[in-house]
Amino acid sequence: MPLIELAKIGKIYPVGNQQVTALADLNLRFEQGEFTVLAGPSGSGKTTVLNLIGGLDQPTSGSVVIAGRSTGKSSPAELAEFRLNHIGFVFQSYNLIPVLSAAENVEFPLMLQRLPKTERRRRISTLFQQLSIAGLENRKPNDLSGGQQQRVAVARAIATRPTVVLADEPTANLDSQTAADLLTLMRQLNATENTTFIFSSHDPQVINCARRVITLKDGRLQSDMQQTP
Amino acid sequence: MMLTLALRNLWRNRRRTLLTLSAMVVSVSLLILALGVFSGMIQDMLASATEQYRGHLVVSRSGYQDDHNLFATFHLSAELRQQIASDPQIVGLSPRLRAFGLLAHGLNTRPAELLGMAPSQERQVTRLQQLLVSGSYPAEGKSGALVGRGLASRLGVVPGDELVFVTQAADGSIGNDLLQVSGIFATGNSRQDNQLVLVSLPWLQELMVLPGQVHELALALHDPLLAGQAAARLDPLLPQGLDALAWGELLPEMQEAIASYDVTRLIMASILYFATGLGILNTLFMSVMERSREFGILMALGMSPWRIRGLVLLETLLMSVLALAVGLALGLAMTFYMARVGIDLSGTLSPITYAGGTILPRLHAVFVPANLVTPALLLLLVTLLAGWLPANRAAGLQPVTALRED
Ligand SMILES: Nc1ncnc2c1ncn2[C@@H]1O[C@H](COP(=O)(O)OP(=O)(O)O)[C@@H](O)[C@H]1O
Ligand SMILES: [Mg+2]
Repeated sequence: MPLIELAKIGKIYPVGNQQVTALADLNLRFEQGEFTVLAGPSGSGKTTVLNLIGGLDQPTSGSVVIAGRSTGKSSPAELAEFRLNHIGFVFQSYNLIPVLSAAENVEFPLMLQRLPKTERRRRISTLFQQLSIAGLENRKPNDLSGGQQQRVAVARAIATRPTVVLADEPTANLDSQTAADLLTLMRQLNATENTTFIFSSHDPQVINCARRVITLKDGRLQSDMQQTP
Repeated sequence: MMLTLALRNLWRNRRRTLLTLSAMVVSVSLLILALGVFSGMIQDMLASATEQYRGHLVVSRSGYQDDHNLFATFHLSAELRQQIASDPQIVGLSPRLRAFGLLAHGLNTRPAELLGMAPSQERQVTRLQQLLVSGSYPAEGKSGALVGRGLASRLGVVPGDELVFVTQAADGSIGNDLLQVSGIFATGNSRQDNQLVLVSLPWLQELMVLPGQVHELALALHDPLLAGQAAARLDPLLPQGLDALAWGELLPEMQEAIASYDVTRLIMASILYFATGLGILNTLFMSVMERSREFGILMALGMSPWRIRGLVLLETLLMSVLALAVGLALGLAMTFYMARVGIDLSGTLSPITYAGGTILPRLHAVFVPANLVTPALLLLLVTLLAGWLPANRAAGLQPVTALRED
């Protein structure tokens, strides 16, 4: 059984009196440990796919099944619980909580998971070392560079040991060197922890380092290829 | 961490938080002050009704307080007096004999109520000595009389003048004797000012041919509001035929006015807080809507709707606790000032007689615990209610929609 299965997905957004079809008849499967990029031009439906997988949004038709459970049959509270324990999000615009320090941002979901303080501290210091942001623990997001903020966001996404990390155009706001560093880092995590990564991006730099590239066009699957990074 | 987050969210928008806080502080402290002054008025009213004439508690023959029957007298034994005085609530006892008759001075004649009492004991129960407008309190055992102002002016007497009192004594004979006006009092209560005369108890007993007899034993209590309980304690000690009546039974309208104060207090608080609550509601809604995106992030991180709701309510609760701390302190300080200093309005207002008591023309506050507790609890309730709607709004946000917002 695949880790994630999207079957006959349709997603229609009502815009005024009109309906915008974001996804149509999409079938996708993802296995544990994948390192996959969703490619495609802007508006092709990449973000929508990630939101459906992460249980932030529900499909208009079809089903999303992750590790045997369907997101469509869950209450908002159950979905929150599911995201807490299975999904790590990395956003294009970092989305750190501005009033919390870097370390507190990472610690927050660990608190929600009710991990003991020592364990939380241990994970934070390991991750800050690994992501080369040690020493920035007490800085507020506003006092960090974009690259530093995105590393904190990655730390926050993986600290909870999620089944899947969903990263929506994570490098779009980063310069190419910072982007390359971040990608190397995520590949390492993928290799060492066997964490499943699903990106969306139209950045060739990101696309080139993935092992599987799924290309969307107008909400439909255009191609699905394996490659050697 | 939730607490940290809540506190920093409040701190982030300091100005708005401070504005909301000050609205809450002002309403709590003003409410406490207003209730304190209101309690002061009620206390004045009760004091005037009981401490100028009746006493907090009266022991007399059953029915005497209704008909003032001349023959409903009793002898107050030293033993009974001792027993009653031993009740810890009781701080003063005054045996009294009452007579109705005519007072004359020169050609002026007026009906009057004479209250025979022992000055040193009567001073423990009523405080007419503080309400003298001229002359002095009668001396012990003399034929001096303390006359109400209205009565004195109708008779045309001043301290030092002589009065003739004529009445029917207990043996059927006509009793009459001379009195000398020693002082004049004014209570603000027209019934007392126009009729009442305090005279010496032995003098009146002799005149009425009722040696050693009294009509009532008026008592002063430490806390007048506990008069009902004290009456219930005394009743079993009393010989057959004697009753202990609390002021509430003698002044049912006053009893009602005071009992309804608990409701009045709630109504006053509710009206004031309704406005405050709407203000808080508005501010919280703004603060929640501005942070939609952040709530979206928190939801994406796996925070449950209930916890989101809790976060907003926690912010609300923190604000109200802070506002309470400051508001209670400020309210107490203002009440304290009004209790110590007060504001005298006698230049512009005259006393109002209501429900058998007199409301004095002054703003004077007293401390009553419920005047703090009710505003405090109610503010907590109101802020949590006002927080509930925005909290629900935040918890009900769709994560995707919230994240899209900028
Ligand atoms: N909330 C929404 N309301 C209306 N249309 C939307 C909404 N979200 C996405 N869309 C539309 O759905 C299509 C796919 O969007 P999206 O998944 O964001 O694409 P991508 O991430 O590839 O740029 C676009 O045409 C977009 O305009
Ligand atoms: Mg997108």
